[in-house]
Amino acid sequence: MRTLSMLLISMISFPLVFIRNNSIFQAIIMYIVMTFAILLVFIYAPNEQMQGIVQKIFYFHVSSSVTAFSAFFFVFVASIMYLWKNAEWWDAVALSAAEIGVVFCTLVLITGPIWARPIWGTWWSWDPTLTLTLVLWLIYVAYLMLRMDVHDPKRARFAAVLGIVGYVDIPLILWSVEKWRTLHPKPVLIQEGGTTGLPFTMLLTFAVCLVAFMLLFFYLLRERVSIIQSQHTIEVLRHQVENLPTG
Amino acid sequence: MKNFWYLFAAYSIIWTALCVYMLRLSQKNKELQAELRALQGQIEKALTR
Amino acid sequence: MYKNSNSFIALMSGSKIFLQQVLALLAKDLKTEWRTREIFTSMFVFAVLVIVVFNFAIGADTELIRQVASGVIWIALSFASVLGLQRTGQMESEEDSLQGILLALHDRSALFIAKMLAQMVYLLVVVLCTLPLCGIWFHIDFIARIGELGIVFMLGILGLSIVGTLFAMITLHTRAREVMLPMLFLPVSVPLTIASVYATAQLIAGMTLGDIADYISLIGVFDIVFFTLVLLVFEHIVEE
Repeated sequence: MRTLSMLLISMISFPLVFIRNNSIFQAIIMYIVMTFAILLVFIYAPNEQMQGIVQKIFYFHVSSSVTAFSAFFFVFVASIMYLWKNAEWWDAVALSAAEIGVVFCTLVLITGPIWARPIWGTWWSWDPTLTLTLVLWLIYVAYLMLRMDVHDPKRARFAAVLGIVGYVDIPLILWSVEKWRTLHPKPVLIQEGGTTGLPFTMLLTFAVCLVAFMLLFFYLLRERVSIIQSQHTIEVLRHQVENLPTG
Repeated sequence: MKNFWYLFAAYSIIWTALCVYMLRLSQKNKELQAELRALQGQIEKALTR
Repeated sequence: MYKNSNSFIALMSGSKIFLQQVLALLAKDLKTEWRTREIFTSMFVFAVLVIVVFNFAIGADTELIRQVASGVIWIALSFASVLGLQRTGQMESEEDSLQGILLALHDRSALFIAKMLAQMVYLLVVVLCTLPLCGIWFHIDFIARIGELGIVFMLGILGLSIVGTLFAMITLHTRAREVMLPMLFLPVSVPLTIASVYATAQLIAGMTLGDIADYISLIGVFDIVFFTLVLLVFEHIVEE
């Protein structure tokens, strides 16, 4: 249930990918919100009595997770659009979103164990959401490898197919991993790292962190897409330079 | 402040990773912009000859 | 997009040409394979090796081995699947016959279905040869539940073939094909693997089909979803 709601939340921001306003403005807003978020996390949010200060990892951990899911959703939609419209821009968005998604996914997989160790006494638990994140990480790392590897114009199409297949697989993976989980003993939890019944202060902090991360995501997406577009333009210009009349 | 170092580790990793990535991106962007300008300059020179 | 709906219609109404082409392609692949039996042999031997090595790794505890038997079998099948797909892909690219086939086809997804069916046949034969061995080595009586097991294996093999053939076609021209195929295939087929392993394990442990209904529905949904997905995007994969 928790994972499903995270997935749904992660899809909402997709329309924002079409906004193409001033990037300095975006960067400043992102910086302000992020600073505000950090302030909230460390000063405003109360210490949870049971877990202590380590619980604060959760704010950035879950935000990264939602951002990663968001990124993969973007890959999904961008892949479909690319196959449909055949426009380079969609392919650039897909690749960028995948790369950024893998970055955030990696962060989730690193901060998860760091949080789990003092709380649960173990580095890893095959918790459905964490396991889903691991499998997704594998799939999208394979996506990136696929893109780097093939040197022909079809690699974008192949990657687009993978981008679609990978995302469609998510509910299936989730279903199977949750079934599988019920067969395994849960770790002896010293504390449940649950998110239900959070006090308002924590919810607010969490919401601000989420917004900050999404802003960061869009900023990174912009940068990465503009890199790809510059690379294309350079290639085109290089062709022109080669074919210039001499003399 | 029982488990402070875990907290510190987590946030440091996130911070470092994101900063490294952002720096890499802007570095690449700057290089590409420079190359773009160079190429455009080349073309302009050739065309105005 | 219209072409894709065409392939649906063709499939649904059992268009004669489509079926003929699928069967023709399938027959060609199977005949080639029958001559040398290369693919099947390597798949079967590999599967057996995996099972035997697992046996050594797990130790002499018979009870423990009985519990993990299902997992070992499906791992062996997944890996053998990857092996078979790589050999099939190699065959096509060696002869460079892919273009010729595509031109001759009325509806391109016939190629996918034929390849998928071929892969299913190979896996089926591997299963039929490996299960008796497993029965003997792991002291498991498969014959008693052969009907239900048959259903689970057929559905699982179908899923492995669908996903496997898809990625085999995608990685056909990749330089690091040996690495990319398993890297793509294994994570994506995780739901299938989990469901098949536990369905099989519970059947062996004596439960009925009704008990494992949710696993079977998961495998079924997986198969349907991926089959549909591949048919929809296949044009994009083979388009020049």
